[in-house]
Amino acid sequence: MTMKCNRKFVTVASPFFAILIGLTFGAAVMIAVGTNPFSAYRQMFSKSFFDIYYLGQTLVKSAPIMLSGVAAAIAWRAGYINLGMQGQMCVGGLCATLVALFFPVKSWWVTILCFCVGMTAGAIWALIPTYLDYKFDVSIIICTLMMNYATNFLTDYFVSAPIKDTAGDGLAMQSPQIAEALRFYRFSPKNAMNTSVFLSIAVVILIAIFLKKSKFGYESKMTGLNREFARYGGIKSTKIMFMTMALSGALCGFAACIEIFGARYRYVNAMFTSTSYSWTGLMAMLIADYNPIMTMVYSIFLAGLAIGGQALQRSVGLPMQISDIIQCSITLFVSIKLLFNFQKLKINKKPNHLERDEEVEHE
Amino acid sequence: MLIEMKNITKRYGSLVANDNVSITLKKGEILAIVGENGAGKSTLMKILYGLESYDSGEILINGKPVRFSSPYDAIKNSIGMVQQHFMLFPPFSAAENIVYGNEPRRGIFFDKKEAYRLVEELCRKYNLYIDPKIKVKDCSVGLQQRIEILKVLFQQVDIIIFDEPSAVLAPQEIDNFLQTVLDLKKAGKSIILITHKLNEVMAVADYVTVMRNGKVVKKMPKHETSIEELSYLMVGHHLEEREIEEIEPEEEILAVSNLTKTSPDGVKLLDDVNISVRRGEIVGIAGVSGNGQSELIQCISGLEHADSGKIVLNGIDVTNASVSAIREAGCACIPEDRYYWGSAAEASLEENCIMYHYQRKSELMKNGFLNSRNVSLFSETILKDFDVKHTSSSQSMKDLSGGNAQKLIVGREYMQNTPLLIAAEPTRGIDIGAIEYIHGRLLEKRQKKDAILLISSELSEIIELSDRIYVMCSGRINGEFSRDEATREKIGYLMMGGKNDDEM
Repeated sequence: MTMKCNRKFVTVASPFFAILIGLTFGAAVMIAVGTNPFSAYRQMFSKSFFDIYYLGQTLVKSAPIMLSGVAAAIAWRAGYINLGMQGQMCVGGLCATLVALFFPVKSWWVTILCFCVGMTAGAIWALIPTYLDYKFDVSIIICTLMMNYATNFLTDYFVSAPIKDTAGDGLAMQSPQIAEALRFYRFSPKNAMNTSVFLSIAVVILIAIFLKKSKFGYESKMTGLNREFARYGGIKSTKIMFMTMALSGALCGFAACIEIFGARYRYVNAMFTSTSYSWTGLMAMLIADYNPIMTMVYSIFLAGLAIGGQALQRSVGLPMQISDIIQCSITLFVSIKLLFNFQKLKINKKPNHLERDEEVEHE
Repeated sequence: MLIEMKNITKRYGSLVANDNVSITLKKGEILAIVGENGAGKSTLMKILYGLESYDSGEILINGKPVRFSSPYDAIKNSIGMVQQHFMLFPPFSAAENIVYGNEPRRGIFFDKKEAYRLVEELCRKYNLYIDPKIKVKDCSVGLQQRIEILKVLFQQVDIIIFDEPSAVLAPQEIDNFLQTVLDLKKAGKSIILITHKLNEVMAVADYVTVMRNGKVVKKMPKHETSIEELSYLMVGHHLEEREIEEIEPEEEILAVSNLTKTSPDGVKLLDDVNISVRRGEIVGIAGVSGNGQSELIQCISGLEHADSGKIVLNGIDVTNASVSAIREAGCACIPEDRYYWGSAAEASLEENCIMYHYQRKSELMKNGFLNSRNVSLFSETILKDFDVKHTSSSQSMKDLSGGNAQKLIVGREYMQNTPLLIAAEPTRGIDIGAIEYIHGRLLEKRQKKDAILLISSELSEIIELSDRIYVMCSGRINGEFSRDEATREKIGYLMMGGKNDDEM
């Protein structure tokens, strides 16, 4: 039927639509401020994707975005709306930094230890709202979202007093740098590009395979598509809920560690809030319709957009907010798609077989 | 001629939903259009009601050609439609729902008193009584349908289309509904009835049009045809008479004793229920829907917890055990609603086929990982063995028609090979061919000396298949019949709350 065909069309084509309309909107803004959008876009994308320096920046920036995006996808596809990626990153990153700073041995395997601690911390942080939901029926959406703010203040407290870096001018709210032995290898001292990017991509691919092939992947997907069906089929929904959220939180911790041990080398005040990695990741994951590989692709695209925007500001003198405008309009059009998805969800929830029969009658 | 639809053709891509279809309706006549799911009946009516466009053909009303672009046009031309799925606002009163769209006003405000008065007047006029102030959410399905009918009548239409009106109704509600249809005819309305229930057609229709594969097969006056001929025309081949072989039941597989469950607001959903099911036996539970059958099977299958009582399955006490423990103990379940519990519409056929199977079959899942090749093979086996018409096992469930989706679910649960199969509404809302097929498979399972607990709101289904029948009413087992004792009348009497030893 027409309605249905449209919906299908929208689902398939909307990522491209959203991006295209976003870019068009950006072009309109550029024309309004008197810039040639074609040359601006050409410069923007040729820089962020074809210039080796900027490509490195793009990839480094995309790593935490794709990881937090996939973390969100893991939870969302199972029907648990985790919005606390930011908080889970803060806690994971801080805990890993603490271990890196205070663990007496400075050797490569300590990095692994730090990652484990960071991931555990992220997982525990995600399990708190999950437990509250399980025990007291507290909404996971609201609870994870609110915990972001609390967590942010908590972690900022650490870098403003207990572990504040007293070297240098001592004005910046940040921790001391972690030991050199713990850092990922950088290809050039001028460029942030480092091996952690490859690790991130590998992890995303592994997760994509894991979600597609594993028992957990199947069970969590079925739980997300129809919780009643999963329950009826003997899937232990509580276990799936805790496992999903723990995995999501752990991956956020991992994302934070990648940023700290790969790019920044220290915990900096508001490092995960002002950069809004998790929200960009969430956007990438929504455009990708929870698919981890596509989330990675869109994360790199969105990171490239931001890096290209910075480059544009330097070369053309165009404010980098242009790239924000493009990103925002993409978000807007993606959220239209999201609306469609929610409508679909609502239809599915209705235990009415008759309406559906009618719908499929003419297939 | 009141309505003439001439040579209507409607295509959806490569599929021809209506192929040169013509129907006619005279004033004061009841025309029944019968056909299996997918025969094109609903499409035709959607075209008539302005919900769908058509590729060629024409529609004449009182001899004048018309073309509707929306139901609004249809209503202006005196055509109303009672949809299969009710379009009501549950928190609002019956009257508010009925007058919606043509509300009486006082100034700019909605005049509630006038609405109540108008609805009362309407009820009197058509002998269809309802309390105008009752909230729709407090109405039974039968009452909701009555509100829908009143809504259509309030639009002052002369022609009323009913799309599968009885699909959602309980047996005695169906009788009321058929009476209503006859009353409407007496009041001068012309009616088109879309259905695949032939006994209803025989009860009320003047003319019957049979559709199959998008074409009109035949139109005839009702008194010139029979249920047998109609079902032959609908399906395209004769349905074989089934001989049900006697089987001596063996040991007990399911024993439910003193099961009790009370709803949060104090209603007894299950009241001291005792049933027993043995190997080689189909045990039916008859009852008007909402009398505890759903709660009973949900307690047995582990989806709900009972307050007290005991459920023993295959010698294992599974009272209030988890779903997986109960399945492990030997219970499979065809759920009441194939989209609410039975499947994930967005998931692929494969993903729907392997539900629970993967937990027991190591060829499907080993060390926590699925074996895609074996998953495909296994799914294809179910799809082929249970005659599920599909294009690919990776297509999504929602693209299957209702009957095929149901066959998939039946196949999945059948293949669990458990000693007990709960079949709840195994054939609701599907066409005759699929019904026959599923009944055959259930009897085959019985033949293999497995036990089946059958719940259905179709009394004829229960009577046809069951070796023993329990009748449920208000959460209680109100009587028990063997195959030989069971008659429609006796069971119907107990369903309505009568006692087995009462004088009838």
